[in-house]
Amino acid sequence: MTTPASRTVPLTESPTPGEAPPALELADLSVMIGGQGGDGTLTVSDLLGRYFLKRGLYVYTSRNVLSRIRGGHADASVRASREPVAAVKPQVDVLVAFDNEAVEMGTAELADHGFIIYDSTTFHVDRPNAAGFPFATQVGGPLGQPIFKNTAAYGALSVLLGFDVEMTRAVIQERFQRRGGEALEKNLKALEIGRKAALEAAGVANRYSVASGDARDQILTTGNQAVAMGFVVGGGRFFAGYPITPATEIMEYLQRYLPSFSGVVRQAEDELAAINMIIGAAYAGTRVMTSTSGPGLSLMTEGIGHAATAEIPIVVADCQRVGPSTGQPTRNEQSDLSHLAHLGHGEYPRFIISPSTPSDCFELTVEALNLAERWRVPVILLLDQALCQNTVSSDRFDLSRVRVDRGKRLSGETVAALQQYKVYEITEDGVSAVAPPGTPGVWSEVTGNEHDEWGHVSVNPVNRVRQMKKRMEKMVKARDELPPARLFGPANAKIGLVGFGGTSGPIVEAMHLLESRGVPTRYFQARTVYPVPAHELDPFLASVDVAYVVEHNYTGQFARLIRGALPWHHAKLRSILKYDGYSFRAPQIIAGIPEVA
Amino acid sequence: MVQSAKAVPPIWCPGCGDFGVLAAVKRAAADLKIPTHELVLVGGIGCSGSIHNFLEINGLHALHGRLLAQAVGVKLANPALTVVAAGGDGDGYAIGMGHFMHAFKKNASILYIVMNNETYGLTKGQASPTSQIGFEGNVEPPFRPILTALSIPAPNFIARTFSGDPKGMTAILEEALRFNREGRGFAFVEDLSPCVTYNDTYKLWREKVLDVSKLPDYDPTDRKTMFRLCYEVLEQGRIPIGVMHRPKEAAREGLEAKLLGEKLGPARTDIELAPNLTGYQKLIAGLA
Repeated sequence: MTTPASRTVPLTESPTPGEAPPALELADLSVMIGGQGGDGTLTVSDLLGRYFLKRGLYVYTSRNVLSRIRGGHADASVRASREPVAAVKPQVDVLVAFDNEAVEMGTAELADHGFIIYDSTTFHVDRPNAAGFPFATQVGGPLGQPIFKNTAAYGALSVLLGFDVEMTRAVIQERFQRRGGEALEKNLKALEIGRKAALEAAGVANRYSVASGDARDQILTTGNQAVAMGFVVGGGRFFAGYPITPATEIMEYLQRYLPSFSGVVRQAEDELAAINMIIGAAYAGTRVMTSTSGPGLSLMTEGIGHAATAEIPIVVADCQRVGPSTGQPTRNEQSDLSHLAHLGHGEYPRFIISPSTPSDCFELTVEALNLAERWRVPVILLLDQALCQNTVSSDRFDLSRVRVDRGKRLSGETVAALQQYKVYEITEDGVSAVAPPGTPGVWSEVTGNEHDEWGHVSVNPVNRVRQMKKRMEKMVKARDELPPARLFGPANAKIGLVGFGGTSGPIVEAMHLLESRGVPTRYFQARTVYPVPAHELDPFLASVDVAYVVEHNYTGQFARLIRGALPWHHAKLRSILKYDGYSFRAPQIIAGIPEVA
Repeated sequence: MVQSAKAVPPIWCPGCGDFGVLAAVKRAAADLKIPTHELVLVGGIGCSGSIHNFLEINGLHALHGRLLAQAVGVKLANPALTVVAAGGDGDGYAIGMGHFMHAFKKNASILYIVMNNETYGLTKGQASPTSQIGFEGNVEPPFRPILTALSIPAPNFIARTFSGDPKGMTAILEEALRFNREGRGFAFVEDLSPCVTYNDTYKLWREKVLDVSKLPDYDPTDRKTMFRLCYEVLEQGRIPIGVMHRPKEAAREGLEAKLLGEKLGPARTDIELAPNLTGYQKLIAGLA
């Protein structure tokens, strides 16, 4: 029997008493958990993610929270699939609601076969395929606090979805053991309360069954964590930053990781200090990085121009969010690209590289450090909120492919062989060999003023032209060392898609959906977005009849950059744009292609 | 011997107070036998910020107002370096004020010399944060950097010198550099450095400066006393100079020492894959 306060609305097809309804097997499942901030929706999503991972499924979780700690609607969704996924599933199979708002928001996306589990302590849902349990009351008595209601909901879900009991429990142990005995014990009790309630309710148990998959040796991680890992492994040893959503976790991870490798992490007084602290540390010969988002990037722009002119190698991770101004701190956008491509007053080289998955984040962070030091050019690691914060199952980061290339860095021995040590020497590739301060026998002048080869301030017009060319031509000379694009789909497809960063997941999913409808498409995933990879894009655009540039902004920023670099392809380029703060879902991309929509 | 960048002749006006600082820095570095390659001078923007061009040492010409952040970055990356940041009053007290205040809190072992001439010299004589009321139409009261410095409870070295007293300045810079090199923390030295072109205060300041060490209650280890003494001197229309604060304990309180202990620092750490592989494998395995 259910507890007196619980309420179970009859199912559309009421099960015969004593007989289990046939389970609906799902190979691609989406669970949405919604409630007020503080209800613990992210914890439920984390628990589910861990469970599905154990079942060999690919996992993608996304969150939709407000920039506040308590209150306001917050939801999270977990997708588990037998195929690799990196996008939110267009339909929700199961909705877990802690308040009525979650029901209102989630029902719109609920599949026909969808089911709602909700906390009936303060509201009830009057529709079929819904089961209410007063989780807050049920856990509040025995455990002293209603906060364990989220774990109880996980327990009820585990019954609805036919989870393996031991594995369900193991997930709780894994998640809470670090917090100590009491937290673990209470969460295990809450799990049992939720399970018991669901088992006793009619027609809830085993409504669905989730297929197990063959994804092996996967980890659950985020782009931010991968960037932090990549920074450490790529030899980064100095990080300064200022807290800002959605970039803060990079700093937090590094505060944990770096000290044991003799690295230093500083939380600066503002972004101006952060960028200038890394400039000082890079000048001293350390591999450095800062991470920020739009508002911080605006402040750092001054310093990035200084680093470029002084030829001090820095890496800036920009975790894009909705702008301008404070915008929407917790929402997704890719609208900093134009700013980054034209960053700052005056003209200077910069490389903007764009990973699309956590393992790509890991790889390209290492590469960003190499490129910065090899070319002595600021490197922007272009990220977006979805990529930074959504948890994805990912291949374990591969150390065997990591290399550390310190370029033309001089040591005490190599510098001693020189006649002259000119810190801005004109060379064939535009890169001068530099010895960090402290190298015996030499010293240098490094400046953001225009300078001659010795680093002395110069207004000589002939020298100005030589030094400008030295710096600017790096963008051409580095071309073959910048991260190459990835191409997906058959070479004979006539519909092209172009994108970068976090849109890659939904784009690939859209391609698969179209393929199943007999429509081949080809996707160009740019991993260097600036300088625009014209040498890669030109043949790609030549091979298709039409190319849709998919991006999260209003003005089609990447499309505009491409048009500028490859004007002869102008007529083929179209834009699919989204700037409502939510990430693309595959059908939304398909809807933007009139040829197939 | 490899040829490195040669010093260039100073761009300053004849008689500029900054010449005094240049001479004193040279003298102090020589007296303390700081090897040229281990000395880094981070310059700000403005007349005074070009000082590193006139010395044969490592010069890092920073952005306007940002020299302290860059200097702290240099020091934390390689604590073996002796790091001096030098700039003007506009640089440090106007555009760089945020970093100025935080430098005391951070307490990295660097020396910050502010050449205060109470004006913006390079842009031809506008009022600065330390300008007196009435100077170039200034209606805002002058900022008092020494009192501000004394108000922040960190184990810093705080002093003021006068370009008209090169001997006194050299002695104070030497003490400040020793303080830094012992890893004790941040040293702030403001030098009263008259701008002979836009605000020639040599004569006025020579009459007004008062060496606080001559006062009966003088105790630079006692913040409260020194705040009161400096405040009283200012109320008398005089300008306090000398050492205003020196921590009682000779402890290694510098930020770099706190963070790194005896480690060589990020810039001198081997970052190749092989020596770090075991640590990296452990880190990645932790992701389970």
